[in-house]
Amino acid sequence: MGYFTAGNNKAMLLLVSCVAMCDSYFEKVRAELYLQGMLGHWSRRDVWSCRQQLAGQMQRPVSSLSLSPSVKVKLAGAGFQFTAELLQFTPAQLRAETALSQEEALEVLQAVRTGGGEEGAGAPLTALELLLQEEDFQSIMTFSSQLDDALGGGLPVGRMTEICGAPGVGKTQLCLQLSVNVQVPQCFGGLEGQVIYIDTEGSFLLQRVVDIADAAVRHCSLLVEDDEQRAAVTTFSVETVLSNIFLVRCRDYVELLAELHLLPGFLLEHPRVRLLVIDSVAFPFRQLFDELSQRTRLLNSLAQQLIAIATTHHVGVVITNQMTTRVRGSQSQLVPALGESWGHASSIRLLLHWQGCQQLATILKSPGHMEADIQYQITSAGFRDTSQSEQPQSKRPRTHSDQSAATQRDTSC
Amino acid sequence: MVVLKEGMCPGLDEGLLRDLRAADIKTVEDLVSSDIERLAQQCSVSYKALFAIRRVLLAQHTAFPVSGADLYEELLSSTAILSTGNPSLDKLLDSGLYTGEITELSGGPGSGKSQVCFGVAVHVSHQLKQSVIYIDTTGGLTAGRLLQMLKTETSSTQEQTEALQRIHVFRLFDVFSVLDCLYSLRGGVLQQASVGGGGGSVRAVIVDSVSAVISPLLGGKQTEGMSLMIQVAGVLKTMAKDFNVAALVTNHVTTSGSGEVQPGLGVSWSHIPRTRILLQRAENAAAAGRSGLRTATLIKSSRQPCHIKEEFDLRWWSRSEGGSSSGKRKLEETDS
Repeated sequence: MGYFTAGNNKAMLLLVSCVAMCDSYFEKVRAELYLQGMLGHWSRRDVWSCRQQLAGQMQRPVSSLSLSPSVKVKLAGAGFQFTAELLQFTPAQLRAETALSQEEALEVLQAVRTGGGEEGAGAPLTALELLLQEEDFQSIMTFSSQLDDALGGGLPVGRMTEICGAPGVGKTQLCLQLSVNVQVPQCFGGLEGQVIYIDTEGSFLLQRVVDIADAAVRHCSLLVEDDEQRAAVTTFSVETVLSNIFLVRCRDYVELLAELHLLPGFLLEHPRVRLLVIDSVAFPFRQLFDELSQRTRLLNSLAQQLIAIATTHHVGVVITNQMTTRVRGSQSQLVPALGESWGHASSIRLLLHWQGCQQLATILKSPGHMEADIQYQITSAGFRDTSQSEQPQSKRPRTHSDQSAATQRDTSC
Repeated sequence: MVVLKEGMCPGLDEGLLRDLRAADIKTVEDLVSSDIERLAQQCSVSYKALFAIRRVLLAQHTAFPVSGADLYEELLSSTAILSTGNPSLDKLLDSGLYTGEITELSGGPGSGKSQVCFGVAVHVSHQLKQSVIYIDTTGGLTAGRLLQMLKTETSSTQEQTEALQRIHVFRLFDVFSVLDCLYSLRGGVLQQASVGGGGGSVRAVIVDSVSAVISPLLGGKQTEGMSLMIQVAGVLKTMAKDFNVAALVTNHVTTSGSGEVQPGLGVSWSHIPRTRILLQRAENAAAAGRSGLRTATLIKSSRQPCHIKEEFDLRWWSRSEGGSSSGKRKLEETDS
């Protein structure tokens, strides 16, 4: 791209002006030839440096700013195409030039100044800083030591995890288990966080939460070794567990989308929230949609919103999805619902399924872990390893291994 | 389309500007495409003056020709081919990612797009000692995995740290912040890097994934999405060309009516990348159980015949650890 804009290259401009202002035709032709000769003799380096200079100054089109379409149309109507042209204007002047209202003019100028500036996108992190950040964040234990192993310590905070599975395979159970586990006191290797549980199916069972919380509390009290843990156990009770769960019941997709718009504010008021559960995202989106492309668009923007929430507020986002049957020729196959593009939304995708009489959790995708199959079971105390499966000896922090050993004890009795 | 301003070129003074405005001539485009003779009568200026102004404006706003020989010389001196670090992919790409071009990876969920991006980022920053800009729009970037890949390349902590520091990460989740970022990169960071030259300049920009920010705008009754998609494409293209960086973007896939898998974002986007690669799980591997085997198919290229296939293993990047133990390795590192 080598477009000249005013004042880019003084010498060029002068020369071109000379050609244009020449009076006699003869003179003009000579000057033109001279100009062509000049360009022809430009060395590669000259052309290169000129291009570099131009590229840096290449302007940003107004249409790329985050403004409403009607404002953009008005700006284009008044002849403004690049943000640089708007920089010198005051709101009043801009109003005079265009058909914009006072507020719109202010909004435009603000967008031009922040968006076009150097600091528009925020400072980048280096991968090293990101690594340190990742190490700071803990993961949320699942209480199945094998699944924790495969996921590198549990479900990660700051990422989106999707749990898919057929009805009755344990999606909701795992969600309830995670809602309790995220509250385990820090001295027991937990996060001591709070949880927002968005229930769209009406499947939130308080009785199960009480069971699971009761098991987790008993479990921790068995592990007490020092005074700190003893003190922590006194505050970690079924009542506190329940009071740290914020349940939101969304009946349709409009309620869900509205809730997500309000969530960032809620999260600022409750900085201890470490987990957001949506059970399930599929249910409200599998009904009442005439136009499929509209649904895809809404789902995609929902996904981006969730990812943004997860990253900026350091919250683990767990969503559940239903399964659907895909027919390919004569074969049919059970695949996660909501279409193919939804599969990209989550960073980690877990599939819970039956194999014979065993329940298996499969990591379908994850940026940091290998694909794996893990056996699990749902007991009255919640989501656990299968008791007969061999425990692979792995190097885990002491609190973790204590916990998993105790988990086994729990499940076997 | 630029608004006419006083002093833009000799002869364009305040009075004439006012007259032109009265004749509804506001921008350069208006002036250039208007009938000069009629305009001269309307504004009562000399035809010659208007003609001269138009010539200057045309000259100012035109592109200028560069000879092919110069371009070739430039190409030889400034184009680089960045190896992806994986021999099969390099073979498919005719030895690697070319600077100045957009290369696209598409594939379904879990097909290894992000893993390839990680691999490229690590390879460029560690082996080639160049900076990488990684725009993460899906929250999928895991620094732990980058470190894991680096550990197979070198055991020196110093080198690992340096390589990680050369990877600059932006985490942006909507199209406007991505545009903000790309424009400011073009104006700032890359400009300095290309002027400074030498080691450590930015040679690769990775956007993982471009479809994640664009697809929320497409579909339904939205019309703005298309325009924004082309904006993103335009800025990526000019950036790649002007600063000689290799742009690597990822895209999702859609299944057409006949059951054929094709890259997403539709036909208009398909013209944007110079090279497109489709990643899929290897068919025989699906039967054999879990594995890192993937097939890569070249679906668009200006250098190689299309539809050639290569098979590669995602575990290539963690090869020395020996397959499935990598998950556990990572656990040890983060815990100790």
